[in-house]
Amino acid sequence: MTELHFDTGRVLLLICFGLVPVAGIILGLLAPSLRRQIPLIVGFVAGIVPILSLYIPKRFLSAAGEGMSPRLDQYLIIVAGFALPLGIVNVIQINSRRVGRGEKGWPFALALLIGLLLMGGFGVYGAFSGQGIGFLPSGAPTPFQWMTDWFFRPLQATIFSLLAFFMASAAFRAFRARNVEATILLIAAVLVMAGRVPLLDFLAYPFPPLHPLAASLSQTMGRLTEWIMDVPNSAAQAGIIIGAALGAAAMAIRVILGIERSYLGLGKGD
Amino acid sequence: MSIVDRLLAIDRRWIFLFVLMAVTIPILLPLGLPVTTTGSTRAAFEYIESLKPGDIVWLSFDYGPSSAPENDPMAEGFLRHCFKKDLRVVVCALYPLGGLSLANSSVAIVAKEFPNKKYGTDYVNLGYKDGAEAVMRRLGENIADAFPTDVHGTPISELPLFEPETVPVERRTIDRVQVKAPGSEVRMGIRTIGQFKVVFTAATGLIGEYWITLVNAQFGTPIIIGPTAVSAPKYYAFINSGQLKGMLGGMKGAAEYEQLLGRKYPELSKFYMETRLFTGTKGMDAQAGIHAVIVLFIFLGNVAFLLARGRERKG
Repeated sequence: MTELHFDTGRVLLLICFGLVPVAGIILGLLAPSLRRQIPLIVGFVAGIVPILSLYIPKRFLSAAGEGMSPRLDQYLIIVAGFALPLGIVNVIQINSRRVGRGEKGWPFALALLIGLLLMGGFGVYGAFSGQGIGFLPSGAPTPFQWMTDWFFRPLQATIFSLLAFFMASAAFRAFRARNVEATILLIAAVLVMAGRVPLLDFLAYPFPPLHPLAASLSQTMGRLTEWIMDVPNSAAQAGIIIGAALGAAAMAIRVILGIERSYLGLGKGD
Repeated sequence: MSIVDRLLAIDRRWIFLFVLMAVTIPILLPLGLPVTTTGSTRAAFEYIESLKPGDIVWLSFDYGPSSAPENDPMAEGFLRHCFKKDLRVVVCALYPLGGLSLANSSVAIVAKEFPNKKYGTDYVNLGYKDGAEAVMRRLGENIADAFPTDVHGTPISELPLFEPETVPVERRTIDRVQVKAPGSEVRMGIRTIGQFKVVFTAATGLIGEYWITLVNAQFGTPIIIGPTAVSAPKYYAFINSGQLKGMLGGMKGAAEYEQLLGRKYPELSKFYMETRLFTGTKGMDAQAGIHAVIVLFIFLGNVAFLLARGRERKG
């Protein structure tokens, strides 16, 4: 006779994320005020379980593969996967409407849709044909990889490389010694820019007798840059990271306790 | 209009022209400028050097084509280093916009250079998975839950690299079901990220930070990061706190790693001198050029600004 195995973690998750939401939908139809309460309960459970699993060593909470917390992690991957089709549907809806109505910039919307359908189509074809979306065993690229190599990569690289031009122009106009603070920032920025690359070697390149001096000064500047990055920068970054982490923790607590409800489309007073 | 006024009101297209020349000329006519190494890159290199043949490492492609010129040379340099050291490598991609394609390309390029390395035994490509944070948490419990198959659709349990073997327990295994003390032996396959000697993440954006705050903090796996130059300042704090073993900061970090590889392995030095592939070392000439242009324009802009301000105060 097979032994009956009662999986507490699975049952609790089924109740919290299966029965409670279904009950909530039904009750919400009858009593509109419950539409706000049930999602808050589900959010509370989803938030509190991973925290409890770290402190309470119970099998149903934290055991690998069967505890509530590891299962929630698995759910998270699935939910994250669903976010992609949601985005695709949204892009298709907005851009097909723009093309259909002939709104301003509709050719760009059309180009976007063609790109989406082509890349997506080749991806889906790769999945169903078993080819995948990388390289074939012969070393030849699949259609998806070919599109990536010859369209997607150059286009992305082109857009990003434009930054170099705009950054140079912005640096010329923005980095001015207007006051003490701006001057300190300016000096630090120039030192780091100069110290991160063999700048003096570059400037001395046409003058060979200056090469040894340039190399020596470059190394000194490099050490100074490292000190700036290692000490003042690191100290400031640590402060920012700790501050951001505390802020994130506070926000998480607010969400878990139902104080912050904007993720439900509700304000404080709702 | 005086020279000062002209300089202050310079048409930005002149700046664009100088930038274009500073980038293209060194790429077309490489200067071969020297690259000095920094402590964070040396620490990363030395950590990999300290590993034994057969040790297993994780390489994550957490960037897209926009930062590929910075990140590609790091990831490929790291992969070459691992293959030279006979380390076993598991590759994945967690960046949605092209991370997988970049992983496929880089792995194919480097694997071709090492024909003795066998897919499935010496290296494995697990492909892309969405939801980086959740994936990392799953990797700490069971890799097969996050990546049931490799990029070709083969179940990872069928890959020789993941087959069980007897291994000594080096640190207390974070497994809530079975705790093993250091010094004992256990027969097990590669099951969790905690068994990896190091994770190298070539990263743009936040994914690199997740490896530190989730995988290093919770499962104890050492992390080496290869961020873009823009993100690099943030990670100095993690190096100083001991949460990072090392860092290859931007293209400079990649070039430094190539220099260190070349010094240690003469055949790789020859390779980096002769290859037609884009490398960090080649990119440094162009980067030096553009930094020179920016510093020059900042200098000129400030001279003109101070002269104009002096003139205003007098007048």
